[in-house]
Amino acid sequence: MALDSRTILLGLALSCVTLANAAEPKDQLVMAIGGEPEQGFDPLLGWGQYGNPLFQSTLLARGIDLAPQPQVAIHWSLSDDRLTWTLTLRDDVRFADGTRLTADDVAFTFNAAAKAGGRADLSVLQNAEAVDSQTVTLTLREPRITFIDQLMTLGIVPSAARENGYADDYGRAPLGSGPYQLVEWQEGEQLIVERNPYFYGPTPPFERLVFLFTGEDTTLNALRAGDVDLATLPPALAGEIPSDMQRVVMESVDNRGILFPMQHDEGKTADNGAPIGNDVTADIAIRQAINLALDRDTLVDVALEGYGRPAFGPADGMPWSDPDETLAAPDLEQAIQRLEDAGWQQRDGGLRKKDGQTARFRLTYPAGDTTRQRLAEISAQMVRPLGIEMQPTARHWDEIQRKAIHQDAVVMGFGSHSPQEIYYLFHSAHSGNAFYNSGVYTNPSVDDHLDNAQRAASAEQANRHWRNAQWDGETGYGVRGDATWAWMVNLEHIYAADSCLDLGTLGIAPHGHGWPITANLLDWRWTCN
Amino acid sequence: MSRAQPRRDAFWIGTAIAILLVALLSSRWLLGDTPGQMHFDARLAPPSLDHWLGTDALGRDLWARTLAGLSLSIGVGSLAALFGTLIALGMAMLAMLGPRWDALVALVIDTLLSVPHLILLLLIAFALGGGTQAVIIAVAVTHWPRLARLLRAELLQLRHAPYIVMSRALGKSRRFVMAYHYLPHALPQCVVGALLLFPHAILHEAALTFLGVGLDPSQPAIGLLLADAMRYLSSGAWWLGVFPGLGLLLVVLSLERLSSHWRHAL
Repeated sequence: MALDSRTILLGLALSCVTLANAAEPKDQLVMAIGGEPEQGFDPLLGWGQYGNPLFQSTLLARGIDLAPQPQVAIHWSLSDDRLTWTLTLRDDVRFADGTRLTADDVAFTFNAAAKAGGRADLSVLQNAEAVDSQTVTLTLREPRITFIDQLMTLGIVPSAARENGYADDYGRAPLGSGPYQLVEWQEGEQLIVERNPYFYGPTPPFERLVFLFTGEDTTLNALRAGDVDLATLPPALAGEIPSDMQRVVMESVDNRGILFPMQHDEGKTADNGAPIGNDVTADIAIRQAINLALDRDTLVDVALEGYGRPAFGPADGMPWSDPDETLAAPDLEQAIQRLEDAGWQQRDGGLRKKDGQTARFRLTYPAGDTTRQRLAEISAQMVRPLGIEMQPTARHWDEIQRKAIHQDAVVMGFGSHSPQEIYYLFHSAHSGNAFYNSGVYTNPSVDDHLDNAQRAASAEQANRHWRNAQWDGETGYGVRGDATWAWMVNLEHIYAADSCLDLGTLGIAPHGHGWPITANLLDWRWTCN
Repeated sequence: MSRAQPRRDAFWIGTAIAILLVALLSSRWLLGDTPGQMHFDARLAPPSLDHWLGTDALGRDLWARTLAGLSLSIGVGSLAALFGTLIALGMAMLAMLGPRWDALVALVIDTLLSVPHLILLLLIAFALGGGTQAVIIAVAVTHWPRLARLLRAELLQLRHAPYIVMSRALGKSRRFVMAYHYLPHALPQCVVGALLLFPHAILHEAALTFLGVGLDPSQPAIGLLLADAMRYLSSGAWWLGVFPGLGLLLVVLSLERLSSHWRHAL
């Protein structure tokens, strides 16, 4: 029997549809969420400092309620003198090369991180010791309330003593026991990772993940072309998300503000040669006036297109932040009065001057970051009626570190699930520690409050000290005290996701340039065939 | 019509265009803070009587920003063209020092011409860290070879001209011949060459800035206005791209016209 051509065509079309439906479920996810780490994927040098380091696993994890959950460690306890942590490990954790993760690896990781002096501050750790293959003890020099955060964030690397162990180039070829292993990293372009076949947890939902490291505009174009499944976008571009994609808004504790250099310019330089000090911002009247002049609601509406809320501190809403820490701003009259009282005189509507010093300084922001650029430009306009000129200046991060970080006001961002960050940001011991306390702020009273918080016996006691560091009625790092920053906004993180991608229940994101969304990666699902 | 008529026309057109360019160049100082002033209640507003060319996403007046951007472009372009021309003149004079120097100059010119100059531009601007200075240097360093080749050919023809041969025979020094014979001959070509370089320099400044290695993003440069416009095209804010683009086109075409008039006039 001869078939006519229409039947054959229909049959072909149907078989194509059937084949398409029977196709494998999606096994590769392409993401453009930014955040390429300069130093590679080495936890000892700061990779994964906000948790969930992708390639490595951590001893504990943070649940959605931020409480510690078991990961590699199934039992943990702290001695009565609060100096010794004892942790019992799972016995089925393997690195991506199939070898077992033991207490030796954990001890090595903590000891090495303490020596490395990276962004994980383990200076309080005296010694980490493997008691047996599944038990490790961590002994501290003094009690430290935030030490548990290191257990939740520091990824475990293989001991240098083993065959495939930790070496100097670990950041470029990381071997870990996390859900994924690195396949290829083309720096500045993309990172390809695949499932770790030996991962002890549930099977990750996608066989392969591709992370593209693109700028904001390229990301938007890739989204429009349908080349990525999940991408982060600045609030300015939130309205440009293609209609066939879903907009995912993630709550965060990620803030942006102006970090002021606190020292006078006395010709000093940091170890890397970066000049320290700025005679204008070192004057507290200038910093307080700027804080009073900022209209934070407008900053949220214009710079963030409404995706955020005003910020008055580094951890608004967290238990270690003082809920009374706000300002009745904008209040230009009070701001001007503050400047007049301090001797900053204005003539003919020009810039203010004091002792021959003009109220002008650079406000540096990282080039390519639209949100920070907008915040810099808008805040500069808000402050100009005071007779203060902030000059928005774009620089690349490496240039900021070499030249600007201690002498320019910088649009910075932080935000953590742990009060440890408060310690790093405002304790004099961390002056000039990478981006922490880059304004070189020193206040003995604040140092005392921060140290007391670290020594506290309970989180409640510690929170009282953390809040006193912000404002104790006389001094503090906050806007009522030394006004070390002019905090502007708390962000909401915005992502464009394929409508087939179910991201599960998202937690509250810390600062961390896109990576925080991968915290619940194992819960993600592709809902289309 | 007298024979002088076309020359007179050229003079008047040239003068008119030159006045336009000077007016644009000086607009940056006349406008003061206006290009940066934000009006939060008029963000992404289409062209109207209040804002002739509309406003951008932060409510800044596009007319003021376009004028300031063109002024910036003309300033940067003229400096880049000037430096490019000086390099070209210097290289052409160098080639006159002897056959070895001539071969070296020819080699440098050929090498530079064999590399696509947008790539060189990007590399140089990136290596210098971006910014106004970097753009001027990058454009100047990449745009001199064509003019240098032209000047070299002109001067080579001159080498055996009777008055040069006689001047040498009379014992005039090489420096004298350079300064009093070669240089005056090359100068008119230089002026035209600089004018021809000018629109190229402006376009490339805009391109570099558009690609993110040019002027500081806080300045209202045309390349930045165009890059910014790309983001909002799909949401219908056509004025952000059209007017700065047309402004750039107008300036570049005016300069082309001016240089061709001058070439005829000279």
